[in-house]
Amino acid sequence: MTRRYTGYGFVLPYVVHFLLFVAFPVGFSLVLVFHRWNIIAPMEFVGLHNFHRLANDALFFRALGNTLIFLLIHIPLQIVVALFFAELLNRQLRLRGFFRAAYFLPVIVSGVVVTILWQRLFSYDSGLLNRLLVAIGLGKVGWLVDPDLAMPSIALMATWKNVGLYIVLFLVGLQSVPAQLYEAADLEGATAWQKFRHITLPMINPTIFLVVVLSTIGGFSLFIEPYILTGGGPLNRTLSAVLYIYKEGFFFYHMGYAATLGFFFALLIMLVVVIQKKLVEREVTI
Amino acid sequence: MVMHFFDGRSVRRARMVWRCRQVVYLAVCSALILSGLACTSTRQRNPNEIIYWSSNNPYEIEFARLVVAEWNRRHPDTPVRYQPVPEGQSSEEVILAAVVGKTTPDVYSNMWQGDVEAFARAGVLVPLDTLPGFLEFLYQRCDSAVVREATSEDGHIYQVPWKINPIMMVYNVGLFRAIGLDRPPATYSEYLQAAEKMKADTDGDGYVDRWIGYLNVNVTWWKRLFDFYPLYLAASEGAPLVTGNRVVFNNRYAREVFQFLRRLYAGGHLPRDPMEGRQDPFIAGQVATQFTGPWVVRYLEKFKPEGFEYRFAPVPVPDDHQGPVYTYGDPKNIVIFGTSPNPRLAWKFVRFMISKENDRLFLETTDQLPRRRNLFQDPYFQAYFEKNPRMKPFARQAQYVRGTDVCPVLKEVFDAISQQFEASVIYGVVPVDKALEEAARRVRLML
Repeated sequence: MTRRYTGYGFVLPYVVHFLLFVAFPVGFSLVLVFHRWNIIAPMEFVGLHNFHRLANDALFFRALGNTLIFLLIHIPLQIVVALFFAELLNRQLRLRGFFRAAYFLPVIVSGVVVTILWQRLFSYDSGLLNRLLVAIGLGKVGWLVDPDLAMPSIALMATWKNVGLYIVLFLVGLQSVPAQLYEAADLEGATAWQKFRHITLPMINPTIFLVVVLSTIGGFSLFIEPYILTGGGPLNRTLSAVLYIYKEGFFFYHMGYAATLGFFFALLIMLVVVIQKKLVEREVTI
Repeated sequence: MVMHFFDGRSVRRARMVWRCRQVVYLAVCSALILSGLACTSTRQRNPNEIIYWSSNNPYEIEFARLVVAEWNRRHPDTPVRYQPVPEGQSSEEVILAAVVGKTTPDVYSNMWQGDVEAFARAGVLVPLDTLPGFLEFLYQRCDSAVVREATSEDGHIYQVPWKINPIMMVYNVGLFRAIGLDRPPATYSEYLQAAEKMKADTDGDGYVDRWIGYLNVNVTWWKRLFDFYPLYLAASEGAPLVTGNRVVFNNRYAREVFQFLRRLYAGGHLPRDPMEGRQDPFIAGQVATQFTGPWVVRYLEKFKPEGFEYRFAPVPVPDDHQGPVYTYGDPKNIVIFGTSPNPRLAWKFVRFMISKENDRLFLETTDQLPRRRNLFQDPYFQAYFEKNPRMKPFARQAQYVRGTDVCPVLKEVFDAISQQFEASVIYGVVPVDKALEEAARRVRLML
């Protein structure tokens, strides 16, 4: 009997935490979905009005599109860069430990700090990047000012910030590839590219998919970078879905609508992750 | 399985110790939870005590300290406890949290006029016109236009017009002199001509690094309070954006403002690159004008380089403009929250706080203008303006300021304008007429 209660005692802190900070907010958000509420005034039941508004909200769909563009740039870039550096760091380099730590450093630095740093680098008139370009005789680039370049610039920055984590994952993947496979390939006279293409890539496939899944989830939650760098501009080209939800909720206090957007977006992420999971499972079983 | 190492007595003792520990843990946890609940529950307020939140600007904190000290000296039986509005991302957010938690102060003195309607509709503010002596006091202090501006849609008044910071154009005298102009541009044409001369590549790297001005390029709604809105008010002699749930900003004045600024951006006279987070471009001589309020005086006096000369002028107006030049006054007002156990006493304190003597104290302490009629003409305040001549243009301008319209979705109105402002003015990808019509359409949907 005592042992049973002891068990409950151990579970209690998590249950309380879950009920207070997960179950209650989710349940409350579900209620909000059918209401109009600006925090100070009483809630007003609006039925499916928030869904109707969502269906006709061009800006939200633009924000979703922007998030998709970000993912399309960020994920392949992340994989290529991370894999490249992981390959390098997997070799017997001098100062290998230093480089491994250096590449990982941006991951542990606050996202806000990194973003402010890049804001300075990207500045059109006084940024270091443009100064370098001018110094070598090239023209200035509107990294964050040009509507076509703003999201790729943010994707570049996000890649720099997160690539260290994925380098580590790829390093683990690369180190788990049996050395005999490479030795056999050497005996067959395979080139470095052939070994990479036919041994390394298939062997680290699960790692690649893990990176894709993690990057997708991380990319969907794109917020700090556009919030600080561009505020969603220029021309809403960097307005991510999360930033839009945040603005609706905490700039304009449209809590009901923000909750509706949040639920819709969460379902969308869930759907994508489930599809990816199926793909991962298929790849692994192959 | 482990128990066989112990005899029966040891087991009983161990169980007893365990139970005792459980009782102690339970008691401690309960005490902590109960004390926490006690702290967070609504405390019974003393009706003879007033809680006052000021802005967290250091000068206003100092003013609050002085006023409260004087009040407490004169009224020891009804003391005021004051504190700056608690830190948060914005004071509005903090006030919202306080409203939800029912921990609002009796008196709050930094309420943006545009927020009042939403709070009033939520029923969290005291209708001040129901308090004895309020209307007489208000009409004595302010012009009828100001009283109209402060009146809510339901006919009640929930705010005391307290202070303003008129938005004007500060200009770098030296830069204008360098391009052969001895007075600032007053009209759009003059501004455009000056902009043409001001645009320069001073370091010879092939890129423009000196402009006539800079407007914040962020689309955040309130940024338009400091560029589009003062220009719109100036062009229209203080016309509203919305009135009685009707959109009225889609008019020739807004078109003129959009076209004027669009020409400046298209001609490369205003930079599109954000200039925040680096050396102040006005002090650095990179921009020759800025639209700003009187708060900039102390700042410029502190940081300006030697020989840096600046003056203030009204914001530019369309070429055919006649009559006074209005601007945005950035009004912040005083409200009494419905949680106050004694609104009459709170009003008595507010009345003391904005008495003529304390208005002068406020002016001297903060360099912000009390919103009272004939401030500049009143001999009582003359000594201050003689001592602070930089504030004279703002005091003159104070006769021609507007606040914000009475509208529960004012932020959304400014957001709609700001979105189109970016597309049409900054990037020039949407024609002006279409942009304003689109902004008006969005606002109509919300209204």
